[in-house]
Amino acid sequence: MSTPASDQLNKPMASSLSKPMRKPFRFPWLLAYAIGYLIFLYLPVLLLPLFSFNDGTIVAFPMKGFTLKWYAQLGEQDTLLQAMMNSLIVGAVTALVATSLGLFAARAYVRYRFKGRELSEGLVMLPLVIPGIIVASSMLVLFISLGLRPSLTTVILGHVFVALPFAVSIMKSAFDDFDQSLEEAAFDLGESVIGTFRRVTLPIVAPGIVASLLVTFTVSFDEFVLAFFLSGNQPTLPVYIWSQIRFPAKLPNTLALGSLLLLASVLLLLTAEYFRRRSTKST
Amino acid sequence: MTDQNIIEISGVEKRFGTFTAVKDLNLTLKEGEFFSLLGPSGCGKTTALRMIAGFQDHDAGTIRIAGQDMAHIPANKRPANMVFQSYAIFPHLNVGDNVAFGLRKLGLSKAEMKDRVAEALEMVELGGLQARKADELSGGQRQRVALARALVMRPKVLLLDEPLSALDKNLREAMQLEMRRLQQKLGITFVMVTHDQYEAMTMSDRIGVMFAGKLEQVDRPEVLYARPCNRRVASFIGGMNFLDARVTGDNGSTVDVNVQGFGPLTIDVNPNALSRSPDLLAGIRPEQLEIGAERPEGYDACLQGIVSDIAFYGESVHYYVRTDGMEDPVSVAVPNYFHTVDHKRGDQVWLGVQNASVIDLGAREA
Repeated sequence: MSTPASDQLNKPMASSLSKPMRKPFRFPWLLAYAIGYLIFLYLPVLLLPLFSFNDGTIVAFPMKGFTLKWYAQLGEQDTLLQAMMNSLIVGAVTALVATSLGLFAARAYVRYRFKGRELSEGLVMLPLVIPGIIVASSMLVLFISLGLRPSLTTVILGHVFVALPFAVSIMKSAFDDFDQSLEEAAFDLGESVIGTFRRVTLPIVAPGIVASLLVTFTVSFDEFVLAFFLSGNQPTLPVYIWSQIRFPAKLPNTLALGSLLLLASVLLLLTAEYFRRRSTKST
Repeated sequence: MTDQNIIEISGVEKRFGTFTAVKDLNLTLKEGEFFSLLGPSGCGKTTALRMIAGFQDHDAGTIRIAGQDMAHIPANKRPANMVFQSYAIFPHLNVGDNVAFGLRKLGLSKAEMKDRVAEALEMVELGGLQARKADELSGGQRQRVALARALVMRPKVLLLDEPLSALDKNLREAMQLEMRRLQQKLGITFVMVTHDQYEAMTMSDRIGVMFAGKLEQVDRPEVLYARPCNRRVASFIGGMNFLDARVTGDNGSTVDVNVQGFGPLTIDVNPNALSRSPDLLAGIRPEQLEIGAERPEGYDACLQGIVSDIAFYGESVHYYVRTDGMEDPVSVAVPNYFHTVDHKRGDQVWLGVQNASVIDLGAREA
């Protein structure tokens, strides 16, 4: 995965290789900055798994000893498992809906030149820059005035809204390198419009679809603000964790859970990136 | 080639917004004919092909294939198949599955399908490569797979959109001959779009030359070369010197003309010329001119000038000869075998021409 930070790290090193080797020593400010930046960014995140193995309830050094009991206790907490279930359902449905919508939208954006294309593309991408709190509160007002009670359904609707830009941009990159004459060739060989989509379009953009499913699932799974406003009495996992963080005794459990989520998210995103790269290479 | 008409196009027009891509297209193709649509890019030839294929509707006129009106018949129901410029090989399928793609809709048995795929691959000399993956094919092999994939459908008409433009020169020339042989063996009508005049001339029974959406001339390659209908067609096919001429006498099938630089000549009236006028445009092919240091004997007209440029083409040498009163130099092509006369830039030379070498291209302002 290529983060902005790793790009900053790579560029100066690559360019320094092309310069003459012998030159006076200068303090590598850029390198130091990049390393400092990475430490600042990731150290707190690494503390989370570290303290999840700590045999004590207080998050502070020195650590008391190694234990796995916080992990072991996770399985016994019914409300936690229920919240996890809610999150999985919301994530899966969100991923499916957002990716389906993104698939068709992206195909239209890449293939056709129509009036209002740029405007509609801009509007689809807008959720990336609107503050979540504004979306969340206005959606809550909207749903209640429509008579929709806060529930997993309203969370899904909100999450589709924020996940759609991700789905559209991933699917667009899958369609970008897709030669249009492939679809024409299939149609020309006697296949129907739907058959062409099924036998040619879908298999070719399949890696993009998998990447989009994984990314939109992760977006939904990690989302807090919308879920907090719209979930009512069916908390998703992040909402549940937030509610538990106020009780010091529960904190180590939360840390263990958080560590597992972190690991799962990283694995999911790495898989998604793998498929995204395959989709741009395949055509 | 039979006498049966396979494609009949009459009065076909295509507009994109205010731009007319194809104007009043009329064309009748015989069964088993190899026909090329030749023209510069943007002349509407690909649009014409895509209208035959069914990827584009026409705004006016009719297109018939094998007697059947094609209006409202989509591409997947037409008895025509297409070879795309990019070849459009399905990247997720191997060679065999690519070729079998269209057969799936025909309700054949597995064994029949296998036989037809094998036969089609044999035809394009890719026998036994069924399991080869799409991304392991060379450019020439991709072209062959695209050909096999279309031919396996046994279409009445095969449409080819710049089928050889992605190949390098040697491979392209070999494929030209091979495709021509294949077409004659199968007896299927081929309609090819190309911007390459040599490709069109070496492969086709007839060529249609298109400019700015209009089909200007349809003829056999030899006729197109010898009797082009106007300046545009003449300059697109082979090299041509254009000279102003004035008609001084009309003898029916021939006219007496006074050709700029050369003087009086008697030339055949070109039946293909689109317009007539006493102010004629005359054309002379560079290879039909004689060049020499002395005034050449036995020519109907001569002209004296100075060599301004020399271009070496390998098989021939082109001399550009300037004379008084002419804006452009006259180009002369001399075959490069036993070629002992070697003129240098600035040399005084004589050019000789025969009556039969001067082509009547119709009115000058055409």
